[in-house]
Amino acid sequence: MIEIKDLHKSYGDVEVLKGIDLTVNEKEVVVIIGPSGSGKSTFLRCMNYLEVPTSGMVKVDGIELGKDSNINKVREEVGMVFQRFNLFPHMTVIENIMLAPIKVRHVSRSEAEKTAMELLDRVGLADRAAAYPNQLSGGQQQRVAIARALAMKPKVMLFDEPTSALDPEMVGEVLDVMRKLAEEGMTMVIVTHEMGFAREVGDRLLFVDEGKILEQGDPKEVFEHPKEERTKAFLSKVL
Amino acid sequence: MNFNFDLVVNSFPLLLLGAGVTIKITVLSVAVGVVIGLLVGIMRICSILPLRWLGAIYVDFFRGTPLLVQIFLVYFALPVITGQRVDPFFAAIASCGINSGAYVAEIFRAGIQSIDEGQMEAGRSLGMTWVQTMRYIIIPQAFKRVIPPLGNEFIALLKDSSLVSVIGFEELTRRGQLIIAKTYGSLEIWFSVAVIYLAMTLTISRFVAYLEWRYKTDDRN
Repeated sequence: MIEIKDLHKSYGDVEVLKGIDLTVNEKEVVVIIGPSGSGKSTFLRCMNYLEVPTSGMVKVDGIELGKDSNINKVREEVGMVFQRFNLFPHMTVIENIMLAPIKVRHVSRSEAEKTAMELLDRVGLADRAAAYPNQLSGGQQQRVAIARALAMKPKVMLFDEPTSALDPEMVGEVLDVMRKLAEEGMTMVIVTHEMGFAREVGDRLLFVDEGKILEQGDPKEVFEHPKEERTKAFLSKVL
Repeated sequence: MNFNFDLVVNSFPLLLLGAGVTIKITVLSVAVGVVIGLLVGIMRICSILPLRWLGAIYVDFFRGTPLLVQIFLVYFALPVITGQRVDPFFAAIASCGINSGAYVAEIFRAGIQSIDEGQMEAGRSLGMTWVQTMRYIIIPQAFKRVIPPLGNEFIALLKDSSLVSVIGFEELTRRGQLIIAKTYGSLEIWFSVAVIYLAMTLTISRFVAYLEWRYKTDDRN
C-alpha cells in the first residue's frame, strides 16, 4: 500500500530524515514511536506529501509522489488525522464531514449527509451533528476529525500523534475509535506516545530516532526484548 | 461671528445631492477595491513567484504614491497615451478603486495569513485543491477577521473621495466649493459639509460594528 525507499528530508542544513525504507502492507497497522524531534512526524507527513521529500521515493497505492503525480488524487485515498484536530471552525460538525466528499468526490448532498451520519454514529457523536467544533471537547473534536477523514473512504489512514493534545481522560475514547478501525481492517500508520495502545493494536512497531528507523518488529517483541541500546534507553523512560 | 442658518438650510438639498454622488463613488470604488484586493492579496501569498512579485509591485506602487497624483495620472496623463478623453466619473472610480485595492490586498493577505496553517493542511489532506481550500476553508474564516480593518479602509475611502473634486467631479466637497463661490458662506458650508461627511462615516462604522457582531460566530479553534 505504501512503499518508501531511501527517504531523505532536510530543512536547510539540518537533515531530519536520513534515509528511511518502509513498506506498509494492506490492512497492516504500523505504529511509529520515538523521542520528540526524531523526525517521526515529518516521516508521516511525507506519506501524503504535506512535506516534500528532499530525495528518495514514496509510493502510495502504486502512485509515486512527486511534482508530476496528481497529488490530490493520491490524497483522496489517504486520510490524515492531526494532533490539533484542524476541524473547520466555521462549519458545523456534519458540514466538516460532508465538505470534501461533495467537492472532491462529487457525491450528492443527500448521499454525503447519509454517509456523514453513519460515520458520526460510528464514532459515537450522532447527536452532535449540528454543533460547531468549539462546542465539543477535545476528544469529541478528534473523533469528528477521524470521521471527516473516513468520509473520503480512504485506503490508508495516517495519524499524527492523535491523542497528544488531549486531556488524559479523553485519550481513551479516541483510541477506542482507532482500535475499532484497526479491527475492521483499515491500513493505518500511527505516530503516537501511547505505548499501551502501540503494543496492543500495532502489527508492527518502528522505533525512529535521529531520522532513522533504529529498530522494528512485532510490538510485543520490541517492547520486551529491545535490541538496540537507544531503544532500551527510550523505552525505560516511557514505560 | 455671524452664522447664517438660512444659507445652511437653502444649500442643504444641493449638498445632499453631492453626498449622493460621494456615496456612489465610494460604493463603486469599494466594489472595485475588494475585487482587486482579493486577487492581489491572494497573488501575494500564492506559490507562483512571478505572481507574487506582480502583487508586491502593485501594492508598493499604489500605496506608495499619493491618491491625488493617481487621479491626475488617470484623468490627465492617460488621455495623452490613448488620445481619448477620460470620463471624470470613470477616472474617479478607477483611481479610488485601484488605490483602495492596494490597501485591501494587504488587509486580505494579513487576514489569510492569520488563519492557522493546519486549516490548509487539513483541506489539502482531504484531497481538495489549493483553490478549493482557499475558497471553502480559508477565505470564509479570513473574511470575518478582516471586517474591522476593511471598515476602516471604507471610511478612509469615503473621505478620500473628496479628492476627486480636483477633476471637477461634483461630489460633496466640490458642491460645497461651488456654493461658496456664489455665496461666500465658507463657515456655514464647510461646517455643513463636515457634518454630512461625519453622518456618512458614522453610518459605516455602525454598520461595521453590526457585521462584526453578526459574524462573531464560534470560530475559535
